[in-house]
Amino acid sequence: MNITATSADNLAPYHRANPSAVNLTEKIAVRELNFFYGENRALKDISVSLYRGKVTAFIGPSGCGKSTLLRVFNRMYDLYPNQRASGHVLLEGEDILSPSQDVNLLRAKVGMVFQKPTPFPMSIYENVAFGIRLYERLSKSELDGRVKHCLERAALWTEVKDKLNANGLSLSGGQQQRLCIARTVAVRPEVILFDEPCSALDPISTAKIEELIDELKNDYTIAVVTHNMQQAARVSDFTAFMYLGELVEFGDTTRLFTNPAERRTQDYITGRFG
Amino acid sequence: MTDHTFKAFDADLQELSRMIAEMGGLAERRVAEAVNALARRDIALAQRVVASDGEIDALQRAIEESAVLTIARRQPMAVDLREVVGTLRLANDLERIGDLAKNIAKRVVALNGEFPPPQLLRGVEHMTDLVLEQMKHVLDAYARRDLGAALAVWRGDETIDAVCTSVFRELLTYMMEDPRNITFCIHLWFCAKNIERMGDHATNIAETVHYIVEGRPITDRRPKGDTTNIAAAGAVR
Repeated sequence: MNITATSADNLAPYHRANPSAVNLTEKIAVRELNFFYGENRALKDISVSLYRGKVTAFIGPSGCGKSTLLRVFNRMYDLYPNQRASGHVLLEGEDILSPSQDVNLLRAKVGMVFQKPTPFPMSIYENVAFGIRLYERLSKSELDGRVKHCLERAALWTEVKDKLNANGLSLSGGQQQRLCIARTVAVRPEVILFDEPCSALDPISTAKIEELIDELKNDYTIAVVTHNMQQAARVSDFTAFMYLGELVEFGDTTRLFTNPAERRTQDYITGRFG
Repeated sequence: MTDHTFKAFDADLQELSRMIAEMGGLAERRVAEAVNALARRDIALAQRVVASDGEIDALQRAIEESAVLTIARRQPMAVDLREVVGTLRLANDLERIGDLAKNIAKRVVALNGEFPPPQLLRGVEHMTDLVLEQMKHVLDAYARRDLGAALAVWRGDETIDAVCTSVFRELLTYMMEDPRNITFCIHLWFCAKNIERMGDHATNIAETVHYIVEGRPITDRRPKGDTTNIAAAGAVR
């Protein structure tokens, strides 16, 4: 379903309210999104935009709805009964909440990397090739090239090129997470969602993932949920602060972390909450 | 403002504020002493002012260390970050004020008994009173994070500039009357200029207080009262 221009205009997203943001293109536009776990309303009238080629960080205390919001972007919640969303989430104008949306196609377009690395119990090569085979028919040499390219994009190639047949689970935590990123990149998504991608990693692996996010944003639209405020400040262009299912503040990361407009944002990011 | 969940962070910030207050107090005292030494022709006092400048420098270094440590340890954000960065700026301005006071004291020593007539000092003393008042108000504004008081100081610098211009004219007349007056008049003029600079540092501090509280610079235009450049051009003609 296409939302009409008029109703979208009324919601005055960030890029319309900010003259400095004229060059931004909305990749995902969330409008008046509500989300329910059974009777419990976990997201309350969320309207926010993810901009093409930009990294948007979602921060907020546990239970504020940031991971729930991320799970809406690729309809992960469909896997569970009693969970439903209302409102609009437009991926390039197409409402992904529409029942006619092909969920498999959506998940190919909107990839996700989770908190704990989740490589498949198969070889490093197969971890990456598996997803590609689902969507494309490639010759062996083409597939080899694509796997290499993806592992390079994930900054893992030099570390695994001599052991592509080793089990993905034999890698270190940080390497496994990069393998998951390679796997996500393999199906050529448009958007990549990172749900606390570094919370299980050491600082060096974290730095590698952050560097990777910084590189990937040239080609993808990225959303990152993180509990690490410094990480949000480092990697993102925009930051959304959520609290109790509401979007409290959304804006330029540089401004939000130096001079937030909302008292609740300030209290949270300076460690004065509750 | 509510306390941090991690209490030691509050203690760190309070300690930084306390050190700034201490440094501010010291700088105020040095300025008053330096000008007193000039007015009372007290070379011993002037020498003490020169010798004690190290105290202010040491405090500045301690503040810098403490601020850097706080950044490393707590990774402050938003108002806390501005607070810590503000402290660094304030310490810098106060250290400069201390240096300018030391410079006045050095000139008292250099005058070596050849002192200007007391009526010539009145303008400089008047400027000093104004600057000390500005310093007191701006340090209070910092202690209370009082935006209104900071803005008042920021606008108040105009009077000091105006007095500085009139001191300049007075000294110029004196030097034209008798070239033998030139040495002490030049020294006195540098003293006046130093005091005028202290006023500028007080307005810097006001700007920093504004930045800490509001998170953005003051955007108004500041009134300017120093017309010595124009006055000098007029005198040459």
